[in-house]
Amino acid sequence: MLGYVVRRLLWGLLLLLLVSALTFVIFYVLPSADPAQLRAGRSGSLATLAAIRHNLGLDRPLTVQYWTFLKRLVLHGDLGYSYYSDASVRSLLFDRIGPTVSLALGAVVVWLLVSIPIGMISAVRPRSWLDRLTMGGALLALSLPVYWVGLVALYLFSDDIGKWPLLPGAGSYVPLAQSPWEWFTSLIMPWLVLASTYAAIYARLLRGNLIETLSEDYVRTARAKGLSERRVILRHGLPPAAGPLMTLAGLDLGLLLGGAVLTETIFGIPGIGRLNYEAIVHADYPVIQGTVLLAAMFVIVANIAVDIGYAYLDPRVRTA
Amino acid sequence: MARALARALVAAALTLVAALTLAACGSGGDTTAAQIDNGSTGKHGGTLRILTGEDPSSLDPGVTYSSLDLNVLAGTERTLYAYKPDDPAKIVPDLAAGPPQVSADGKTLTVKIRSGVHYSPPVNREVKAQDVKYAIERGFNPHVANPYASTYYGDVVGAANATGGPIAGIQTPDDHTLVFKLSRPTASLLAQATILPLSVPVPPEYAKPFDAHAPSDYANHVVATGPYMLAADKSGKVLGTGYKPGRLIRVVRNPSWNASTDDRPAYLDAIQWTIGGTPTVSGRQVLNGKGMVLGDPPTAAIVKLAYQHHRDQILFVEGGGSRYIALNTQVPPFDDANLRKAMAASLDRERMRIVRGGAVVGDIATHFLYPGVLGFDEAGGLAGPGEDFLAAPAGDKAVAAKYMKAAGYPSGRYTGTETVQVIGLAGEPDDNDAQIVDQALQDLGFKTSLKLVDASVMYGRFCALPKSKVQVCPNLGWVRDFADPQTVLDAAFNGAAISPENNPNWPQLDDPKINAAMSKAEVAVGTEKRAQAWADIDRMITATAAAIPWLWDKQPNLFSADVRCVPELWNQGHCDLAYSSLK
Repeated sequence: MLGYVVRRLLWGLLLLLLVSALTFVIFYVLPSADPAQLRAGRSGSLATLAAIRHNLGLDRPLTVQYWTFLKRLVLHGDLGYSYYSDASVRSLLFDRIGPTVSLALGAVVVWLLVSIPIGMISAVRPRSWLDRLTMGGALLALSLPVYWVGLVALYLFSDDIGKWPLLPGAGSYVPLAQSPWEWFTSLIMPWLVLASTYAAIYARLLRGNLIETLSEDYVRTARAKGLSERRVILRHGLPPAAGPLMTLAGLDLGLLLGGAVLTETIFGIPGIGRLNYEAIVHADYPVIQGTVLLAAMFVIVANIAVDIGYAYLDPRVRTA
Repeated sequence: MARALARALVAAALTLVAALTLAACGSGGDTTAAQIDNGSTGKHGGTLRILTGEDPSSLDPGVTYSSLDLNVLAGTERTLYAYKPDDPAKIVPDLAAGPPQVSADGKTLTVKIRSGVHYSPPVNREVKAQDVKYAIERGFNPHVANPYASTYYGDVVGAANATGGPIAGIQTPDDHTLVFKLSRPTASLLAQATILPLSVPVPPEYAKPFDAHAPSDYANHVVATGPYMLAADKSGKVLGTGYKPGRLIRVVRNPSWNASTDDRPAYLDAIQWTIGGTPTVSGRQVLNGKGMVLGDPPTAAIVKLAYQHHRDQILFVEGGGSRYIALNTQVPPFDDANLRKAMAASLDRERMRIVRGGAVVGDIATHFLYPGVLGFDEAGGLAGPGEDFLAAPAGDKAVAAKYMKAAGYPSGRYTGTETVQVIGLAGEPDDNDAQIVDQALQDLGFKTSLKLVDASVMYGRFCALPKSKVQVCPNLGWVRDFADPQTVLDAAFNGAAISPENNPNWPQLDDPKINAAMSKAEVAVGTEKRAQAWADIDRMITATAAAIPWLWDKQPNLFSADVRCVPELWNQGHCDLAYSSLK
């Protein structure tokens, strides 16, 4: 088992290296903005541009730039400094990770709490009016873009611009350490909006899985033994049907920890997603590299966690 | 493809509805809803919140150049001279103790510095003339790399080879006198250029260690001389306290500020910029909320909402700059002046304005010097110089046909084989404007390839990069640095300014007559002479049709009902922080 875990971790590191190289290549090969020109403005002379490029290390060969970046990262855990704000990338990431973790973890809890009961009810009563209603709702939630749902939610329920002011709106996020209650209330709407699409997917997935599981022979045997329907569903039907959901939730959480750009932007949450977006707009390569690596790391860690979980449950996977 | 087309049509229809509604509401004249005041009788106290989607580009006065940064610095720093918020043309002393003294030969500028102006903590000491000298010299330091130092201070003796060390032409005979010795008679232009933040004093003993870094780290430790300062820790570090990238800028009262040395009232206790969010939501928050100002241009939908339901909370400020379409004069087909004129005549500039919001967003431009810039009236004012290819705002097919014929296309349609590359801006309403230009080209028979990209890519990789050989850039604009017309025309149309990268002369106009006229006008002395000289140049440029002027912006600015916004007419109409107050 230990060997398997070490192997997976080494593959993860290699993948991170590839991601960083790919980000570097994309930044320099595709037509993106020139950070020196952005800093120099319209009147910046060639001498000014040269000075800025020298300051930022952009006048060195690309291979040297990449090697310097890697060396600093591996030896000192240093991701460099933002071209735009001169702040260290590490401090920017630390500053933004809290809001993103708050948003992502809360949303996962919400969508699991919503999707599991809905999926179960729909599976137990297929083709009933309740099933049609919940699955219709799920289809609607799947079809509506998060950006639009977020704006509508703000226009209806936020306490500053809402028609029925119920909850704190955009720009109201406060860190957990500052005020747990304000932190909680400021995130209710973003959690619900972000969770809506995922809840719909998970509910439909669980419904399908549970209907299939409940038609298995061992479930019929359980019923034949006289177990109550509640016990049959909760003890014999739900665990195998919900397994894939947990796997998916791990991966989705990994993705969201890399930043939920749209939700963060609409609700003015200063998270990793928005940091990444701002960095792209400002051609701020060190920050782009930092946010991409962080997002990749979360996805890889989530994958490894899922793989290890599988390996633990099924020994055949360890030797695959 | 069909989905994209449908989306584009729906977006265009919605924009048109918004625009036509607005056009129906306003006549297009002076649409300012609230009275522009000079902030003389405000109420003291309170915190103003400014909602913006953008981070400042830099808080170092030696580096900064953007409108948002200038708005911050107008409250926290003192330049030698400044504009009153309600007069964007006349410079008045700020850190200076009196008017600039220009020698008879125009080669010496003497400025006296006020006594009793102090830096914010941790420096606290009185400002000296030597600090202004250091501030300008550090602009030439490669670690600071000020973008306009060589443009406006380049005539100072010794500046040509400056790299951050002492410049011989900047002298300080005593602690309160600055003397600039110039190699050309450009002292009056230099006096006006001191309204730019490079003349903000910087204490050398404090800033030098930060300037030793590459790039300089002074922005994160900047000290103030104005009524407000960026919140900082005890050591003076601003980053993490007064400025959190992507989150906020927080400005508080400067305890070292002495009101008796400053003409500005400075009513507010504190100002906070909240960075992030979307303009659609922020605009509504400002209109419905209290104590807020929108730091970014509002969307068309928000302008409509404000115009219809919150008329006292929106200001349309003239002098927001001029918009034009650059036609590359160096490569076919627009190296032919007749084809350029045909394109100008064919273009429906009225429609381009409608997709931005109609008459309320500005006047149809007829030349390049725009309202609020010296020489505007001399160059023809609103009516313009009278070129027939710019006479009809909605376009004139007959005039277009005349110029097509003159270019050798008697059918009125271009028959050349090359594909014209058009690089426009992505995102509404600019993409709609780019599409109107693209369609006008196609109507004249040009084969086109339209690419819509981000602003930084448009300039950095295409329109400001001559080797890309882009023929048409439809979404360009220029804002003056200060009221002198040279700041609008010189870099933008002087052949000498063409540069292999970061080229500001987007149409790459290189006309020897215009270049020579500019060389003369640069050293013209006296307001009237300069106005006339540059107005004549403006007419010459317009006649080349190297670029098609189409809009003189009126910048919409939003604020909450309890905010008394005193707009900076010299800076896009942002609420001046040293004059604005809460009701």
